Amino acid sequence: MTFSAARASRFLCTVFAAGVAAGAAQAEVTVLGWPGGPEETALRAVAEAYNARPEVSGDNKVELLFFNRDGFWDKLQADLAAGSDAFDVNLLATYSIGRYAPFMEPVELSGEAQDLYGEAVLSTMQFDGRQYGVPTDLSLHFLYYRKDLIDALMADETAKARYAEISEEHLGRKLEPKDPNDWSWDDYAATALYFTQAVNPDSPTRYGTVLQMKNLLFNIMVWQSTARSEGGDWRDADGRITVNSDAFRKGLELYKMLYDAGATPRDSLSYEFAEANAAFASGQVAAMVQWNAAAADLTSAEKSPAVGEVTATVAPPAGSESRATHIHGLGLGLNKSAGNKDGAKAFLEWLSTRQAAIAYAKAGGAPALSPQAVSEIAEERPDLVQLGEYAGAFGYVMNGGASANALAVYELQAKEFTGYWSGQQDLDTALANVERGMAELLK
Amino acid sequence: MEATHRTEWTLLATPLVAFLLVCLGFPAVVNLVYSVSQISFATLRQPEITGFGNFVAVVSDTAFWRANWFSLRFGLLTALLECLFGLGLAVFLAPLFKERSWPIAILMLPLMVAPALMGLMYRLVLHEFAGPVPHYLWAWFGDSPAFLGPNSAFWTLTAVETLQWTPFAFLLFHMAYQAIPTELREAAALDGATGLARFWRIELPLMLPTAVAALLIRFIDGFRVFDNVYVLTGSGAGGSTTSLSIYIYEAFFKQGAIGKAVAASVILFAASFAVLYGLNRLARRRRR
Repeated sequence: MTFSAARASRFLCTVFAAGVAAGAAQAEVTVLGWPGGPEETALRAVAEAYNARPEVSGDNKVELLFFNRDGFWDKLQADLAAGSDAFDVNLLATYSIGRYAPFMEPVELSGEAQDLYGEAVLSTMQFDGRQYGVPTDLSLHFLYYRKDLIDALMADETAKARYAEISEEHLGRKLEPKDPNDWSWDDYAATALYFTQAVNPDSPTRYGTVLQMKNLLFNIMVWQSTARSEGGDWRDADGRITVNSDAFRKGLELYKMLYDAGATPRDSLSYEFAEANAAFASGQVAAMVQWNAAAADLTSAEKSPAVGEVTATVAPPAGSESRATHIHGLGLGLNKSAGNKDGAKAFLEWLSTRQAAIAYAKAGGAPALSPQAVSEIAEERPDLVQLGEYAGAFGYVMNGGASANALAVYELQAKEFTGYWSGQQDLDTALANVERGMAELLK
Repeated sequence: MEATHRTEWTLLATPLVAFLLVCLGFPAVVNLVYSVSQISFATLRQPEITGFGNFVAVVSDTAFWRANWFSLRFGLLTALLECLFGLGLAVFLAPLFKERSWPIAILMLPLMVAPALMGLMYRLVLHEFAGPVPHYLWAWFGDSPAFLGPNSAFWTLTAVETLQWTPFAFLLFHMAYQAIPTELREAAALDGATGLARFWRIELPLMLPTAVAALLIRFIDGFRVFDNVYVLTGSGAGGSTTSLSIYIYEAFFKQGAIGKAVAASVILFAASFAVLYGLNRLARRRRR
């Protein structure tokens, strides 16, 4: 591996993730979007298409407003709570709907929306049974893996024997290498250990996986599928907190074991999206669970020369109960204090039409569309087919994951669970703290 | 004469007092009200006064005391290191700066970088796969430490803060060192004082007021640290790099516990005021 200025600059660009700002001084319908990345590009494209429509008057043209991703939700919260009318339409996410709903108004969707998105996707923008936003992008997780390494492992008997030895030593039973699409979390762990030089000095990669373990709520969203696939949930049907369970223990112990064994970089407790991508793109990692948003970069030979041509994606591994991927949607909704509500409502209704959704997808957005709708763009955007398929088959939202304090719950889990992974507290203490805190936050 | 003097004083002070009342007084009153209220983002304009529950919640929160301890350690250590290095540079490089002043401009460069950007820069520089430091450590030694791991994050953050703000302390010491009359040094040399003796007995005592000011300024800055720590490690694994500023920010925005966050800031304000008042009285007593 050589130090690459290009790699460094790519990393920095991803970290920045957000551009600063298009001006929107005299907007007629001001839309506050998610800055940087494909979401901004796609929103710009549909805004242009909307403004070009002859029936849209000069008073109702859309102007876009962006600020930095860092602290975006905090700033938005402060603006909404202060009754700001600086924007008519604002971004919202599944995990923050409950927090922002008091400052927003429900929206009317077009007649096509139900068939276009399906109920599961529309529900990512609902709170208390009311539709607060038009779903624009869906986020879920893929298992990214190095196809060349897995193929070589499965074709080599000596390697298979070593793999079995390692799995027996660390996991208590002999395992055989499998196709990643058939992996359980044990298979994932065994593969991660096999491809770790600290465990297997002959490994072609330094690390078997890269875990995002920074004290950050988004990292808990990535991790929690390990618990969900074992049947874990935040609450049961009666509203009792159920995190102090075998499912959560198993998921937490899996990360701890991999971290302690050196199967993930030592700095993983400070890693998030950008760091994990940089590690995988370096060619020194065999597999990782990561947001679907990374697919475009990690499967591109141009953007990730070391791994682009040999990276494949499947749904995350299965637990004893199911295969699972966290899903959440980004969408656009109506600010209660909007200055131009009629114009904003007209734009949002149009945004939920088939024409707008297809234009958004073609411009790089990631809407989760029904199979009929996605077939129209399947050739241009094959990743959206996978997105819709996995969301429908494996997608979940934790019970309470759209409540007013959902973000605070994620924050609490991030703090306590990273405390366990870093060895500052034991598992019982971490789970007891989370259980107690969640009981307070979700009562 | 006395009355005229008083009128002039009142006229001159009025704009300042008005400014303080508007810019500091109003937020301070709002803070005091919020700190004894049950409040959320939905009820910002209708706080319900409930007593001192928020203060009880803060002082009984172990995370608050942990954040205090982090800030105190961080503030003291970085202030001390920055002043030691700043003093060392000012004295050691004094002959160079006497001949040429342009190297000072180079030393000042880190001060021009916003702390958040400095954090971002080190996030890149220390990354195992994208950063030059781990890259060359791997190439030369076959290994690289976890700079931001749970056991080393505090020391890395201390080093980053020290590297950025040592030039500030250096600048203060440089000015103080240059201000020492040459005659004093020459007289001491004539009396046979060695360089080390001149430094300990003449130069350092003369720079002592500067040292106290530099330590105080840098301690305050280190104690309230937010930007570079937040960008580099956030609040850290298990909250291990939570400074008091980060504690207040997270309570306010992340947990939505506005009353608790404001109560913590009121406690911080009261403690800071008490310390500064105490130092001021001490200084006055010494002057008498």
